Amino acid sequence: MNATDQTSTKVKKESKNKIRVDFERTSLLKRLRIKYLSVFFFQKVIWVLFRLVLLVGVSYVVLLPFFAKITGSVMSPEDFIDNTVKMVPRAPTLGTYTAIIVENDYYKALTSTAILSLLCAVSQMFICTLVGYGFSKFKFKFNSLIFGLVIFTLIVPHQTLQFSMFMKFRYFDFLKIYEIIRKFMGVTVAKDLKINLINSYWPLALLSVTGLAFKNGLYILVMRQFFKGFPDEMEEAAYVDGAGVFKTYFTIILPNAIPMMVTIFLFAFTWQWTDEFYVNLFTTDTGPYLLPRIVKIPRTLVQSTAAIQASTIYQSAIRNTCGLMIIAPLLVVYLIGQNFLIQGIERTGVTG
Amino acid sequence: MQNTEVEVNKPEINAPKKKKRASSLDRIKARSGWFFIAPFVIGFIVIYLPIVFESIHFSFTEVKVLTGGGFNAEWVGFKNYQEALFDNPNFVMTLTLGIRQLIFDIPAIVIFALFMAILLNQKMTGRAVFRAIFFIPVILATGIIDRIDQGNEMLSYLSDTSRSIATGTSDNAATTDTSVTSIVSVFDFEWLFMSMKGVSIDLVIYIVNAVNNIYNIINRSGVQMLIFLGGLQSISPTIYESAFMEGASAWETFWKITFPMISPMIFVNAIYTVIDSFTAKSNTVMRLIEFTYDEPGGQVLSSAMAWMYFIIVILMIAVVGLIVSSFVFYQRREN
Repeated sequence: MNATDQTSTKVKKESKNKIRVDFERTSLLKRLRIKYLSVFFFQKVIWVLFRLVLLVGVSYVVLLPFFAKITGSVMSPEDFIDNTVKMVPRAPTLGTYTAIIVENDYYKALTSTAILSLLCAVSQMFICTLVGYGFSKFKFKFNSLIFGLVIFTLIVPHQTLQFSMFMKFRYFDFLKIYEIIRKFMGVTVAKDLKINLINSYWPLALLSVTGLAFKNGLYILVMRQFFKGFPDEMEEAAYVDGAGVFKTYFTIILPNAIPMMVTIFLFAFTWQWTDEFYVNLFTTDTGPYLLPRIVKIPRTLVQSTAAIQASTIYQSAIRNTCGLMIIAPLLVVYLIGQNFLIQGIERTGVTG
Repeated sequence: MQNTEVEVNKPEINAPKKKKRASSLDRIKARSGWFFIAPFVIGFIVIYLPIVFESIHFSFTEVKVLTGGGFNAEWVGFKNYQEALFDNPNFVMTLTLGIRQLIFDIPAIVIFALFMAILLNQKMTGRAVFRAIFFIPVILATGIIDRIDQGNEMLSYLSDTSRSIATGTSDNAATTDTSVTSIVSVFDFEWLFMSMKGVSIDLVIYIVNAVNNIYNIINRSGVQMLIFLGGLQSISPTIYESAFMEGASAWETFWKITFPMISPMIFVNAIYTVIDSFTAKSNTVMRLIEFTYDEPGGQVLSSAMAWMYFIIVILMIAVVGLIVSSFVFYQRREN
């Protein structure tokens, strides 16, 4: 833009490090006009506005249900009868929250789910790291075939297997040991020697330890991609210095994989936290009191809404409040760990 | 493997020993590789494989739980499959509808994810905030929340501002739709495209469905968006620079550079979308299968349905893979 100015430049002062050049400055008005009254600037402004509108619009669509749930959770039954009340409650109340906390035993469910999720997430994190490392850096027979089996476990939906999975853990028989004992000892050993693992944490713990739980195939895939990008030279240096394979793994590999492991931990933790499929499959009403069990209408609120015409909407609002309370701790986890979650996926680029 | 060479270089006195030692190190490494994947292999053989086989087996049987503990499975052949295909009134219809929905959703999700990734890849303020917002559904709208959102009367009631006060609560029952009420109608779009020749009505209906389904599409494209973002960031900026120097327009740059470079990601995302959407809870077929499971004696029937659905989806993955891989461009192959 200042091409015309260059003809009139002249050196004013020259030192060792700096050259000061004297030139006739274009007037401010002219410079502003060139900068802001061009077609390019206009195009850029339009594009920025368009982009902003689009991004804000999509964010609105994503966030609207959450806002609606939050306002719905503080609305009283009267607000649902009144048709003029939509997003802003007229008679806000915290009664729904207290009823859920007191009558649905929120804190009890919270602690038991926290224990279960931590248990599963920690074991899944370590196991998937181990298995992913094994797949990425060692050349053994059937490596790619077994990795194909990992993908197979990822593709088969667990709903397909739910009945046999239930049966497996209802009549759990490790390596058919009881079957063998029964054959050799005769009929004296009863059938119910098979262990009933339903209503305990064992089914999920066993699935986590063997890398078969929800989306574990994905974690193994991600870890494998991560270690493939990890330089071989580091391990070679360790081998030359006399470290064994396992010492190398624990002292060199694990410390370097921590960000990726945190990513996997967060995914495993949040998905286990909101999971209801396994909770419904492996526990019954008499079992451990986990978070999905709190999604029900507290008794006091049922009585107060029995006569109301809009009670279905109110009950739906209560269920939504339960959902909000379930994900409230996760929101904190997400705010702290979102960088790990997002960059973890971005960094590996799950390219198979 | 380069580390074997390092070991080999040390003893150069006698040649035959060299080879033996290298191969044994390889063997040790292979053995420890087995140790690393041992948890998965043991779990797969001891737990997963029996479960899969039993599930297939159960789908051919009728199961009765005995009172003294244990259960009895009676072989009935293809009875469950016949029942699912011919006697169950909902299965075939739900299956065809579900697969049609899947075929509609894959391009919509992939294109939307790519579009948003390109937007987010540009330099601007608040990029991280938008990225975090778009990722929220992946983390928070799963499992139990997904279940609650099915037939969520409160959401449709609160977000529907168009309903007049006069009609009152009478039409609440009609709005069982899970998402926000429809944003545009086919007529709006027809009116918009009327002057344009060559836009078929099918495309218009597709776009209208996609726009009205936008909540669903946004919710399900979080991971895909990030995979695309990762891919976009790995494209070297010098390619864009040289294209810009040659005078390529943004449109040309997209089709000649971005699209080929990102095409492996399109492949991955198409496959991921298929897997993700047919294992999702919001999937109608999956819901029917779960519903059947809860019915008395419906467990084996649901296994039969699920296996049929699984086979169809595997075929679909193969078809999608073939279609997408026909235009995938791998940079590595060139050099």
